[in-house]
Amino acid sequence: MLRTTSTLVVAGAACALASWLFASSQFFALQASLVGVAVILAVSLNLINGITGQFSIGHGGFMGVGAYVGVVTSSLLTQFQLLPGAPQVVSDQLVLLIALATGGLAAGTMGFLVGLPSLRLKGDYLAIVTLGFGEIIRVAIQNTKEIASDELKLVQAQGIGAELAYRVTHLGRATGLSQIPQLTSFGMVWFWVFVVVMVTRRILGSPHGRALLAIREDEVAAEAMGVDTTGYKVRAFAVASFFAGVAGALFAHFQAIITPAQFDFVKSTEIVVFIVAGGLGSTSGAVVSAMALTLLPEVMRSLFGGFNVEQIRKPLFGLLLVVIMLTRPQGLFGTHELWDLGKRKKRPA
Amino acid sequence: MSDAQLEVKQATMRFGGLKALSEFSLTVKRGDLLGLIGPNGAGKTTAFNVLTGVYAPTTGDVLVSGTRVNGRRPHEINRLGLARTFQNIRLFKELTALDNVKVAVLANTRPLFSRELMGRLRRGTGAQRAGAKVLGALDNYRDWWRAILGTGGFHQEEADVTARAGQLLEVMGLSARADELAKNLPYGDQRRLEIARALGTNPQVLLLDEPAAGMNTREKADLMVLIRALRDKFSLGILLIEHDMKLVMGICERITVLDHGETIAVGTPAEVRANPKVIEAYLGEAAHA
Ligand SMILES: Nc1ncnc2c1ncn2[C@@H]1O[C@H](COP(=O)(O)OP(=O)(O)OP(=O)(O)O)[C@@H](O)[C@H]1O
Ligand SMILES: [Mg+2]
Repeated sequence: MLRTTSTLVVAGAACALASWLFASSQFFALQASLVGVAVILAVSLNLINGITGQFSIGHGGFMGVGAYVGVVTSSLLTQFQLLPGAPQVVSDQLVLLIALATGGLAAGTMGFLVGLPSLRLKGDYLAIVTLGFGEIIRVAIQNTKEIASDELKLVQAQGIGAELAYRVTHLGRATGLSQIPQLTSFGMVWFWVFVVVMVTRRILGSPHGRALLAIREDEVAAEAMGVDTTGYKVRAFAVASFFAGVAGALFAHFQAIITPAQFDFVKSTEIVVFIVAGGLGSTSGAVVSAMALTLLPEVMRSLFGGFNVEQIRKPLFGLLLVVIMLTRPQGLFGTHELWDLGKRKKRPA
Repeated sequence: MSDAQLEVKQATMRFGGLKALSEFSLTVKRGDLLGLIGPNGAGKTTAFNVLTGVYAPTTGDVLVSGTRVNGRRPHEINRLGLARTFQNIRLFKELTALDNVKVAVLANTRPLFSRELMGRLRRGTGAQRAGAKVLGALDNYRDWWRAILGTGGFHQEEADVTARAGQLLEVMGLSARADELAKNLPYGDQRRLEIARALGTNPQVLLLDEPAAGMNTREKADLMVLIRALRDKFSLGILLIEHDMKLVMGICERITVLDHGETIAVGTPAEVRANPKVIEAYLGEAAHA
């Protein structure tokens, strides 16, 4: 426990230092943030699809929930002085942390609610439900009724209540939500990368991780051995959704504008490609492949030039998925981990 | 409460028009070693599935440690003290032998609420059972936190679980295989690992579905000796499905014979052997083969 706290403090300090050192390079900071968000998404989805053996294709939707809830939170909080007298950086990061927490918890709660009915059933219900969920989020945001301020007054909401009601009903619909406070530093992103990897590893090394793996291997047998399979699946799904929400909130706070389309089915598929390419079930595979695949279009652009990164991403990922399925269906790492490389060989057979 | 750990009363299981199990009754007490035999398709595995909650019986009752468990989920029934192995081996293939057992030992980590309290609630009325679920969930969330934070208590429990799983592997003669993936084990070892895993849940009654299937004569004989030893060591009640008549007759104290879902005979090996219905059922099978 003490070790955990000190590890987190050291990681946090290192990330803060890196953020400060590289603050001058905007391009670097942006790329590092994008890569980090992708890693958080991939590692958390891997907890569901790789480790527990379920199939979710709605991670983008949970990311979206985190993004919008996070932005509503931060734009509310920036109206108030949380820490009078504290330096701007400190109060900004505090606001961001609270936004990440609300975004993450909202997404985690959604994950729990979506997971509970669909994970009870065996089969592909989760895929169908998560697919639907992502679409519902998108459509809901696109169609929020923008209640005018004077109408709000009619319902007698005042002060922070009125402010909240206003923010919640003004999500920018399809055109997007702008004027987001730019609070995310890439150090904060990578701190969360560290957290999600550590949490995943700790879970895996515990009875919970073994239960999740057992569910992946044989659900009937796991149930027969006293594993509450539904409970474990729902908890894993909620934890993964929480991190998707955090990733979304982090993402939103370094974007000038967020739109519902950024969290649609294409985004969800992209995250699935990350973990399939990295090797379902391998955390390090998810990390490496999310990094590589996020940077790849950027690298190709600088090499060959002349095209939009967003335009080539879709065909490139589609092609990649086909190639992986044909040549290495278990993905880059299979189920192996970087940190286990030396271990297996040492043990006598 | 009677000393019956498992009690089945007139359980019937229908699949559409097929009566796979018909008015099946059975009592297993601590220290019993009972046999369940019958030709292929007689309904033996179906009986296990009904007892362990894979299926809820169409009619009739199943009681585990005095609690009626009809319609309860298999993991709940397991927690009440009933464990099983599978005829078509269902190990966690990509996990090591040790981890296979550790998954099962999970149930024995120190709970937030006393085992007596949880047991009483789980046996209780609907509201009490719902309460048990909420308390269980609280316990579980606390456990996730302890694992993530890596508390001292957590490390101690992990060490205990590993030690317990190691002991069970040793009992089943699998210590040398602890770090091998289950899928890479020889067939006989996989069968024994199934038993080690079931023992990990700390059962009062153990159901073994053809644990010797696919083994040679020598291995089978050894396994029967081992099964008897397990019964004594853990004071288990054991219900054994086995096709090899000689083996079952040699080891079981009482035998139930199924045919087409019907219980056609119950008794000591000698009584069963002499029963004309049993002879007919088995001769019939031989004639078809
Ligand atoms: N889920 C199911 N749905 C429909 N029929 C089933 C189901 N499970 C079992 N049966 C049928 O019930 C009958 C009994 O099957 P069961 O597997 O219990 O036999 P068994 O005695 O274990 O046979 P064996 O010795 O071959 O293992 C068979 O006719 C089988 O086809
Ligand atoms: Mg059978």
